[in-house]
Amino acid sequence: MLFSSITFLYFFLPLVILLYFFVPQRGRNLVLFAVSILFYAWGEPVYVFLMLAQIVISYVLVWLMDSFRQKRTGRIFYVLSVFLPFAALFYFKYFHFFAQTVLRLETKEIPLPIGISFYTFQIVSYCADVHYRKVKRQRNFITYAAYVTLFPQLVAGPIVRYSDIDQTLIKGTGFSDMHVNFERGAVRFAVGLGKKVLVANVLGEFVAEVAALGQRNLALSWAYAIAVSLQIYFDFSGYSDMAIGLGSILGFSFPENFRYPFIARSVSEFWRRWHITLGAWFRDYVYIPMGGNRVSMSRWIWNILVVWLFTGLWHGAGWNFITWGLLFAVLLVFEKAVVRLCGGISRLPVFLTYFFRHAYLVIIVLVSFLIFHNESLSGAVSDIQALFSSGGYIAVDTGETERLVWAYLLRNRIVILIAGIVGSTPLPMWFWTRIQERFKTCKTGEAAIHVVRGLLTVGLLFLCTAYLIDGSFNPFLYFRF
Amino acid sequence: MKNDRWKQRITIYVFLFWLVGLTLLIVICPKETVSEAERRRLAEKPELTLDSVLDKSFMDNIEKYLLDHFPFRNAFRRVKAHFAYDVLLQKENNDIYTAGAHASKLDYELKETSVKRLAEKMAGLREKYFPNQMFCYAVVPDKNYFLARENGFPSMDYGRMVTLLTEEMERAGNARYIDILSCLSIDDYYHTDTHWRQERLFHTADTILGAFDIEDASGMQEADYQANEVKDFYGVYYGQAALPMEPDTIVYLTNEVTESASVWSLEENFHNGKVVLPDETAAVLMPVYRTDKLEDMMSVDKYDIYTGGASSLQVIRSPKAATDKRLVVFRDSYTSSLAPLLLGTYREITLIDLRYINSALIGEYVDFADADILFLYNTAIVNQSEMLK
Repeated sequence: MLFSSITFLYFFLPLVILLYFFVPQRGRNLVLFAVSILFYAWGEPVYVFLMLAQIVISYVLVWLMDSFRQKRTGRIFYVLSVFLPFAALFYFKYFHFFAQTVLRLETKEIPLPIGISFYTFQIVSYCADVHYRKVKRQRNFITYAAYVTLFPQLVAGPIVRYSDIDQTLIKGTGFSDMHVNFERGAVRFAVGLGKKVLVANVLGEFVAEVAALGQRNLALSWAYAIAVSLQIYFDFSGYSDMAIGLGSILGFSFPENFRYPFIARSVSEFWRRWHITLGAWFRDYVYIPMGGNRVSMSRWIWNILVVWLFTGLWHGAGWNFITWGLLFAVLLVFEKAVVRLCGGISRLPVFLTYFFRHAYLVIIVLVSFLIFHNESLSGAVSDIQALFSSGGYIAVDTGETERLVWAYLLRNRIVILIAGIVGSTPLPMWFWTRIQERFKTCKTGEAAIHVVRGLLTVGLLFLCTAYLIDGSFNPFLYFRF
Repeated sequence: MKNDRWKQRITIYVFLFWLVGLTLLIVICPKETVSEAERRRLAEKPELTLDSVLDKSFMDNIEKYLLDHFPFRNAFRRVKAHFAYDVLLQKENNDIYTAGAHASKLDYELKETSVKRLAEKMAGLREKYFPNQMFCYAVVPDKNYFLARENGFPSMDYGRMVTLLTEEMERAGNARYIDILSCLSIDDYYHTDTHWRQERLFHTADTILGAFDIEDASGMQEADYQANEVKDFYGVYYGQAALPMEPDTIVYLTNEVTESASVWSLEENFHNGKVVLPDETAAVLMPVYRTDKLEDMMSVDKYDIYTGGASSLQVIRSPKAATDKRLVVFRDSYTSSLAPLLLGTYREITLIDLRYINSALIGEYVDFADADILFLYNTAIVNQSEMLK
């Protein structure tokens, strides 16, 4: 089920709120589990059984692992608890690609269960955390199942670890916290919905319009690259906001997944701001166990390559994703080398250093998302070529009709492009915080702020509903992962 | 502190009020079957079966049903259109733009392969059905031809389209291009619809007749017709634009020639696998203007008044025509309103819409011998000729 659907907004969500807050605390995890299964089965009526099987198997294996902790068999159960979810993930997501590219076999493509990458990582992190005694094993099956299936984050993240929400699952939230969480969650959900429906979808239309053209000029090529990056950002961060907001409504505190990634000034900073929960997962469960950066230079480079190869592959079984991941690996190594060579000292004035570092990051991100966006590498190469030189999509000899089309497409979407650029920075939040500070000095002003916040929340819901009713362009990009 | 609580909870209250309020409205509001503004039948409630759940069609269809029957749907669509136009400063909504009182659909990509495919189609039909006959062809420009460039919108290269088509047909030989582009202006089209207006097609009709070397055989002028009006015609672009626009008025022209004429349609004469031909006594014949289609929303498109709307094959017989000549037109919906103006000249006009009938089948029903043959397609069809079977 899509968050941005009438079924979810006006049937599923009211039903969940009604059930969740009207049953006693001890019954809430059962409610969560039941509605989450309904949520998933709505989109995957068959693969829901795969997910349930994985939950049961991992629950039993962790139980056995914990019971035989001191023995060798305990370790075997741990290995199995990690191996089996990854085996399922490999089969559904990578087997076809692997068979075709490595084994040179013609195999039928296997439909990918929605969100399998996300819930696999959650199950594995739980198994590892129990094994390494970071968390206690959850003995109540319903509570464990509610953790894995928790519908706000089930199909597109953020990747929530058991330790993030175990206290809420076990103890629930207090009455006074409930109102604060609910209000915060409602606002966050509406903002996320707005990011998805009003920005990402509209940018997606522009991306589709330009992609349909045979040729384009330099300005349109750059606008296209910006739109692709912004679409992916607003789509995914919008989903994360909705997930965090829904979690908050239900009393959970999910980890942040995005922190204005486009204001970063290096690739390493970018990845501390983009899909934070995925980066943290690879850091804690792959990179650090491999030795992290406390190893020799060659081993460190190897660690980086492995982690970023997996990061690329996590997004999909395709050469574009592998290239995308390895590009970041190379850039991270490059950045480290530059810092070592320059010793972190620049002879340029600070603002110029900031400017060049930011410009470097923006260009890298635009290029990387063109690779990410394109299903074929050749398409990505043409898109990137169009940013810098003639050839590819850049027309050498164009007629008046083409020029009119290019100018029109850019003019038609210039506001949403500017809004997207501004919206991807902290500026709107900074502005809203300043307004709040200014008005909160008096009681009337404070009341006005609350009223405005409420009206803006419903205004966003209203506008998004209008867009959903009228529009048809509504895919969630991160569902395919 | 207690007094402050309402402030903190106001967002919760309005959020829940909005969600629950709309849920209740969705449930209790009466459901329409047809959207007059969008001129389409609305989705029906899907049946819940195991198969429909397993193949996910139930989930897809229930979402479509909810979207179609959402309370105040048109008002929501209008809000979206205003947001797109006035806030995002988009120049179109759902690819529909407005210029003056007119609405039109953006269509700027010229598909040269499609134009060539149409030329091949015409040449192939000639080879199969009327190898030794000359035929004429014409292209009806869409509204963008008149509106787009002067209002800053892109449009396809119509000159290139016509050049390509005529070059291809010159190679095929024995075909004459009729230039009706110069006969038309934007005022000859409805404001809210894609189609042209019948009452402004006399010059076009004369140009077509002239191409077949017929010099106004019927002798009928505009004054020989009585103009009848159908008010409140909301065209196809009205619904898509979702903006407030004044409705058009359909004018249909009648006289004793059109009133004596009758229309035979394949769809209405196809029963139990058998076709009742026009000459058979059991044939169902209808008047040229189907005013019955306006009653009880029998048709969601009032333009269907002209010969009854979409049909694969129609034969219009005009006993009071000035000649015994016959005309065969390979056509789209534009010809529906033009054909009645040709009934004063032709005793029989056959209308073939290859979007709805396979060209391999038409030989069973159509006699091409000694008939004037015309291909009349609007630019959208020329640019998407793959839809011609």
